[in-house]
Amino acid sequence: MITRPVVSVSMKKSRITADIFIPLAFIILILAGWEYIVRLRSIPDWLLPGPAQIVRTLVDNAPLIIKHTQSTLIECLAGFAVAILFSFIVAFLMDEIALLRKALYPLIVASQTIPIVSVAPLFIIWFGYGMLPKIIVVVLVCFFPVAISLLSGLAAVDNDYLELFRSMQASRLKTFRMVKLPLSMPSFFAGLRISAAYSVMGAVIGEWLGAKQGLGTYMTLAQRSFQIDRVFAAILAVTVLSAALFLLVSLVERLVIPWNRLGEK
Amino acid sequence: MPEIVVEGISKTLGGLLTLGKINIKAGAGDFVGILGPSGCGKSTLFNIISGLLRPDRGRVLIDGRDVTGRTGRVSYMRQKDLLLPSLNIVENVSIPLVLKGMPKKQACAEAAAHFKQFGLAGFEKYYPRQLSGGMRQRAAMLRTYLFSSDILLLDEPFAALDAITKRKMQAWLIDVFNMINPTVMYITHDVDEALYLCDRIYVLSDCPTDVRLEIRVPFCRPPHGRTIAHSEYGAIRDKVMEALEI
Ligand SMILES: Nc1ncnc2c1ncn2[C@@H]1O[C@H](COP(=O)(O)OP(=O)(O)O)[C@@H](O)[C@H]1O
Ligand SMILES: [Mg+2]
Repeated sequence: MITRPVVSVSMKKSRITADIFIPLAFIILILAGWEYIVRLRSIPDWLLPGPAQIVRTLVDNAPLIIKHTQSTLIECLAGFAVAILFSFIVAFLMDEIALLRKALYPLIVASQTIPIVSVAPLFIIWFGYGMLPKIIVVVLVCFFPVAISLLSGLAAVDNDYLELFRSMQASRLKTFRMVKLPLSMPSFFAGLRISAAYSVMGAVIGEWLGAKQGLGTYMTLAQRSFQIDRVFAAILAVTVLSAALFLLVSLVERLVIPWNRLGEK
Repeated sequence: MPEIVVEGISKTLGGLLTLGKINIKAGAGDFVGILGPSGCGKSTLFNIISGLLRPDRGRVLIDGRDVTGRTGRVSYMRQKDLLLPSLNIVENVSIPLVLKGMPKKQACAEAAAHFKQFGLAGFEKYYPRQLSGGMRQRAAMLRTYLFSSDILLLDEPFAALDAITKRKMQAWLIDVFNMINPTVMYITHDVDEALYLCDRIYVLSDCPTDVRLEIRVPFCRPPHGRTIAHSEYGAIRDKVMEALEI
């Protein structure tokens, strides 16, 4: 009476082909077109370098870019970790205490409407040019999607589960640990994946406004001296970093909730 | 085996008198059916018996002890299996034992000891999403059994299954019943299912709900499985249908 896998191996293969090769081919097409136009019109490097030039710059400046990427990565991970910790505390309290949920929910949503670029300079004034103000920006950017997805995951737990556990005289804490927390994990990870990408953006914005290290700093410096190829190289590094964090979260998700992938259609 | 007495229960839900004045009794080892239109308050009745909900009036007695509004004596099984997708079947089924304070390992071993009896042998380490609906309901029933082994409250346990699986599960339930001999209350809106399984049937009316008919079924759970061939089948079925006004 076991349900058979719905997707056969060959079907899976062809789906992977479609999922990976079609977008890849599309990207290659765009890059080739870009390179072609830049060469055909002999557009100067300080205006718009071609992809080949950008890759060359990236390779030439690799040690420097890696060093800046490291700073940005550390800010991201630190901010990310703090945001997750806060989210869990806040979501747990808001889920357990109805009054707190009513009081805090509008505040959390409203906090999201504050433009980060307008508050980030304040953090620089208050906390200097070190990593702390960037980490705070990352926390602010990541907290919202993580907390909201965790909260909605907790709220979406089928009330019948809760009644069943209540009828078996489970304590609130046990019900939270055994039912609510695991059942809300898929939603939590969905939010986590989104904020993984956001976190890099937050760190870069923080660095733009003043820093000694990081991809944002590197980008601003290159921009001021019209080294557009370096700007693009930094953009590429930011993209790769975001994608890497996204993949990292997906990997952790697989390890933490392996059951969620079972019986997927 | 315990006796369950539901005495003069009434309950208003959302401003509407849902349960009028319900008197129902299940003697020790009885298999009692509760049949009624959907929305008439059958699940509400189980919520009251299991102590999740306090009735406005009336009492619930189990073996003479007043358990009205108190959880912990019985839990009940629903149409939804409510297995946790994050745990495998053994872990799921052993939850009531763990909640009662048994160490997890011992609880799993204890639960696993019943797997053969409940037709689940070999599926210990599977996750709920890997099993069919029928298997999941067996696991849900074992979990209910491990919470209170002498009373089974079953709320349309097979309603979501297809006709063939449903019939197989009914035959399986009869086997389980004969093995463990609990007192059973079985909610359904399927007349033929009630006539097949239950010694006695209470037919409930629409809201405000009361007991329209209480009828004994002389031919239930026959060893050959064919109730419909019994000489009294038509007459009893007609009476039930009449009480349901269909
Ligand atoms: N918490 C509640 N508040 C208000 N109305 C409810 C509540 N729970 C159930 N009801 C209503 O009570 C009636 C009986 O519900 P239920 O016991 O689930 O019926 P059944 O199981 O017989 O289908 C339904 O009309 C339902 O909408
Ligand atoms: Mg119901």
